[in-house]
Amino acid sequence: MPLDTSAYSLALLRVDGRRWNELRRIHAQIRTQAAADGSSYFEMGHTKVMCVVNGPSEPGPRRGGTAAAAPGGGQSKDAEVAVSIVVAGFSSVDRKRVGRGDKRILELQSTISSALTASLHTHLYPHSTINISLHVLSQDGSLLAALINAATLACVDAGIPMTDYVAACTAGSTSTYAANDESADPLLDLNHQEEQELPGLTVATLGDSDRVAVLVCESRVQVGRLEGMLAVGVDGCKQVREILDRVVREKGRRMLQEGTVEKGVGLDEMDMD
Amino acid sequence: MASLKRSLDSDPFAANISSKVYVRSTKSGKVQKIVREVYLRQDIPCSSKLCRGCLKTAPKDAAGRTLPFVLSDKPAGTKQFPQGHYLVPDTNAFLNAMDLFEQSSAFYDVVVLQVVLEELRNRSLPLYNRLIALTKSEDKRCYVFFNEFRLETHVARDEGETVNDRNDRAVRKAAKWYGEHLAHASGAKKAAVPAVVMLSNDRDNLRKARQEGIPACSLSEYVKTLKDGERLLDMIPETQDQDITASKDSRRSGGENLYPEFFTMSKMMTGVKGGLLHQGIFNVSPYNYLEGSIRVPAFPKALLILGRENINRAVDGDLVVVQVLPKDQWKEPSTQVIEEEAITKNENPDAEGEDFVSEKERKALQEEVKRTQSKTTEGHAQPTARVVGVVKRNWRQYVGHIDQSSVSKSGSQGRKQDSVFVIPMDKKIPKIRLRTRQVTELIGKRILVTIDAWDRASRHPTGHFVRSLGELETKAAETEALLLEYDVQYRPFPKTVLDCLPKEGHDWKVPASTDDPGWRDREDLRGLLICSIDPIGCQDIDDALHSRPLPNGNTEVGVHIADVSHFVKPNNAMDTEASIRGTTVYLVDKRIDMLPMLLGTDLCSLKPYVERYAFSVLWELSPDADIVNVRFTKSVIKSREAFSYEQAQLRVDDASQQDDLTKSIRTLLALSRKLKQKRLDAGALSLSSPEVKVQMESETSDPIDVKTKELLDTMSLVEEFMLLANTSVAAKIYEAFPQTAILRRHAAPPKTNFDELSNQLRVKKGRELSVESSRALADSLDACVDPNNPFFNTLIRIMATRCMMSAEYFCSGTQAYPEFRHYGLASEIYTHFTSPIRRYADLVAHRQLAAAIEYEAVDPSVRSRGRLEAVCKSINVRHRNAQLAGRASIAYYVGQALRGKATEEDGFVMKIFSNGFVVLVPRFGIESLIRLRDLADPEPQATFDAETYTLTTTGSREVTVELFQKVRVKVTDQKDETTGKRGIKMELIKAI
Repeated sequence: MPLDTSAYSLALLRVDGRRWNELRRIHAQIRTQAAADGSSYFEMGHTKVMCVVNGPSEPGPRRGGTAAAAPGGGQSKDAEVAVSIVVAGFSSVDRKRVGRGDKRILELQSTISSALTASLHTHLYPHSTINISLHVLSQDGSLLAALINAATLACVDAGIPMTDYVAACTAGSTSTYAANDESADPLLDLNHQEEQELPGLTVATLGDSDRVAVLVCESRVQVGRLEGMLAVGVDGCKQVREILDRVVREKGRRMLQEGTVEKGVGLDEMDMD
Repeated sequence: MASLKRSLDSDPFAANISSKVYVRSTKSGKVQKIVREVYLRQDIPCSSKLCRGCLKTAPKDAAGRTLPFVLSDKPAGTKQFPQGHYLVPDTNAFLNAMDLFEQSSAFYDVVVLQVVLEELRNRSLPLYNRLIALTKSEDKRCYVFFNEFRLETHVARDEGETVNDRNDRAVRKAAKWYGEHLAHASGAKKAAVPAVVMLSNDRDNLRKARQEGIPACSLSEYVKTLKDGERLLDMIPETQDQDITASKDSRRSGGENLYPEFFTMSKMMTGVKGGLLHQGIFNVSPYNYLEGSIRVPAFPKALLILGRENINRAVDGDLVVVQVLPKDQWKEPSTQVIEEEAITKNENPDAEGEDFVSEKERKALQEEVKRTQSKTTEGHAQPTARVVGVVKRNWRQYVGHIDQSSVSKSGSQGRKQDSVFVIPMDKKIPKIRLRTRQVTELIGKRILVTIDAWDRASRHPTGHFVRSLGELETKAAETEALLLEYDVQYRPFPKTVLDCLPKEGHDWKVPASTDDPGWRDREDLRGLLICSIDPIGCQDIDDALHSRPLPNGNTEVGVHIADVSHFVKPNNAMDTEASIRGTTVYLVDKRIDMLPMLLGTDLCSLKPYVERYAFSVLWELSPDADIVNVRFTKSVIKSREAFSYEQAQLRVDDASQQDDLTKSIRTLLALSRKLKQKRLDAGALSLSSPEVKVQMESETSDPIDVKTKELLDTMSLVEEFMLLANTSVAAKIYEAFPQTAILRRHAAPPKTNFDELSNQLRVKKGRELSVESSRALADSLDACVDPNNPFFNTLIRIMATRCMMSAEYFCSGTQAYPEFRHYGLASEIYTHFTSPIRRYADLVAHRQLAAAIEYEAVDPSVRSRGRLEAVCKSINVRHRNAQLAGRASIAYYVGQALRGKATEEDGFVMKIFSNGFVVLVPRFGIESLIRLRDLADPEPQATFDAETYTLTTTGSREVTVELFQKVRVKVTDQKDETTGKRGIKMELIKAI
């Protein structure tokens, strides 16, 4: 069994060989499901998620499963962003069944829903619903961040107008809360083991700015360390945004080359170099 | 439909990403397959000061600092590698010879590979921690090289390759890379580049390394080329030696297996789960090395394990799995004393396996059987069990000395390796077979050894020599032996700890201005008449007291405790050191402090006539000593006087003393009596243990006399108020932190613990011992008096104390409220608060109380339950060890004080066997065994009646000895020539 997170101080290396300020390998694809309005596939290390967006569309008959509905539902002036998350039984080491009503899942759903509601121009689609369904294929830490990134990409793919990318990642600290080590380094992009052993938070920012769209911290950590963690997290979000942007542009270029879209139709400003 | 599948080539990073796949099994037996990412990189430095290239790419932490390079640019050379060398040991080298690496004479510039560190951690956590400590010490120049993360040295496991082979390959690859890297990077002439030497004891690995052109040595080959190689060679464990030179001792490999094989781990675990096998800690009887017992959760009484074969290589303290034996093999616990030294005295350490259970052992066993069979009452037989496997060894380093009789006379001249026996100081540990080249030097010395292995073919465990402590019976060697044996941390405080002390040193004073931050929220109690009462010569004064009458007729009583938490902040080096030490250890001539002297005896110590910070507990007590209210505050006090118990007593008794201070002590004394009565009414036990004090010559500090401790009223005064303070604080911190308060509990002893004693009392004295509650026990102990024998009551109390459970620290969240009870003190809730200078638990309680009264913010370390549990666990062990070390020290000095003297004393029989009895001499607080063969020569015949606890001898000497009987004994000291131990010897003069 490999060493644990306490070995960091020996050579400033994390359990998987990264430095404190390095992201894991990120791989992203969009338009993975041709039949859907928008779709994406996103990997952060071994965390793998898929996202499918349907809508904006007229809300169908309400089902029990679409939680996190905005008040008023289909009757409101803004579109409702309905997020549903399915965690595959094979996604983690232990094969566990996660029910629909799982509190953790519900919370993830509502966090993602409110983050996207703020960034999507929902006012353009009154009385309609944007259905975002997320599938978790494999889990290795930073799940919420991966889900937000995947949802952003899928929304871009679906062509829903939005302010900017919502890019997310996690940040942590190299020593536990109880160790109360003043010289602890902040960490970027926690994997599962680090998430288990160390304090951490998830942060999402809007585009290039430092505007924080999501900040979730469920572990105990000294206030003194929070600032460093947040700074590293925001910095990571910018790197993630770069990657998302690259993926989107690459896909756009490919589509132009393949002739999937007509040239010059609203794509003039797209950088083709 | 787009495909999600990616080809590896399309990913530019594919070459830098690998994964680590391994399988682990959980506690519940589930098997999990874990896949982890591994990011390979090229910026992991070699950390050699010779290398320029690595310095440029060296990693920085978040603050922009790089770790300093560790490996020296001019490493030491040896005969074989005159140009200097770095060492790259493999896992086995650390597993077997960690002691070598901790030597200060050699083993510098060591590269610890990640793969080795990981493997070591899986094999042995203590060794891993020692290695980590080594890498952190600056002078050892140990560097952890993360070879698995460096692109060039990463090794993927081949198909069909075992994990061990892969790891060996990784070590070789890393060693090879280091060699090439240094040659390339240093740019120096080839001759000047240090060699990178792989250390391994695996023959196959060595052979492959040499094939690949990597310099490689086995441990012993390497050590031989060092300067003091001869000495170090002994520290290479026995088994490893054999591994390499396997054919040398062919007799062993062909030898018969003496012990039954252990079950496999999975078989044991299934058995334990199914309730067929039982797991527990193996304990050896202090009187009979062939008898062990084990407490398992399934049965209320301990299971017996009798005989070498059934004990099956378990050593005291090991976590073992046992199987219950069929009923026809059930036995009674032995009533005979069997000492290993006496029975196996003449064994030859070289000849192994001729006769597993020696003749004498067999004879001893026969007598057992005879006796058991002659018993009419079969109901006495106790269930027995045999050890089928060891889950976890509890081996540590043992202090002992070489058994002189085991040294072969002829071989002791040359430098040949000899096998000798080491007799550990701890009687419960079996003899250890040791191979050494320096027998002649080691005879008559206290030495430190470790056990390496105990295989089926060897009657005794094999071990290796670690270091010599000095001549037997010299004060320095014996004291160090004691400290080592009880695992007391006695090294001087490191610099990092001393750096945490206040800069002003001894000149530190309570700030004069009350606006100083130190005064924040402190009450000024300098005006109160506070004094401290302690033993003579006490330097670390933890507590002081005061009382004053209140206008409403009640009394204000204050207990003021040194405010150690003001000086020792959580989580700094000093705090960590204190938590490791856990407690101050008091030996007869020495004190091993928990905190540096400056704090313990000066800045924290509540010395008289100076102002000190304190943490005060203030009560308003009614004239009946009921608590009207209590409050806690940080304060500044000025003690008026530091009394010794005797001085205080004289002052109280002297009616002419009418000053306020004396009056207040009298008030305290009166109140303390009421408090004590209340406690006793609630069922508090007054227990007893034989306590003596060794008087020393003031200049040479040689022991001259032994005195029993006197009990003074003033002692009980201090004790009562400390108990009251502890109880009040416990309630307060529990109220503030229901989950994480640090408390102390004393569990009610199981009734069966008293079976033996109450039976003895019934038979011998016709008294009943009722043990339903502490109250009932206290009452029945009070009733146990013998008008002709005033000591009888104390004797019973001593014996009852030994039936008790030991009190322990715990974290309140781990127990239900009813379990908090302190049985001995009959208190619902209790903690330790009053001695923060010498106990770490008190320091934690101080921090919690300070947070509870909102004096300061809660530190996370005193709120984290996991951490507190770890602290409790460790200080419980430390506390117990400190007590044992203290007692052992007194015993040693009592022996020294009696040296060359012979005195006649009264003693009492407190345990009786079929071939001897144990006598307690209260005057010296010692107990010793008198065997039948000590009574007369030739050994008298004896009949032992176990029903009435009577031993009657006939023949060469006729005496009848009964349990609890008063006897007259002659106490002399005696040095056992074969063992080199000085011990007390008692001779029976007459039974009274």
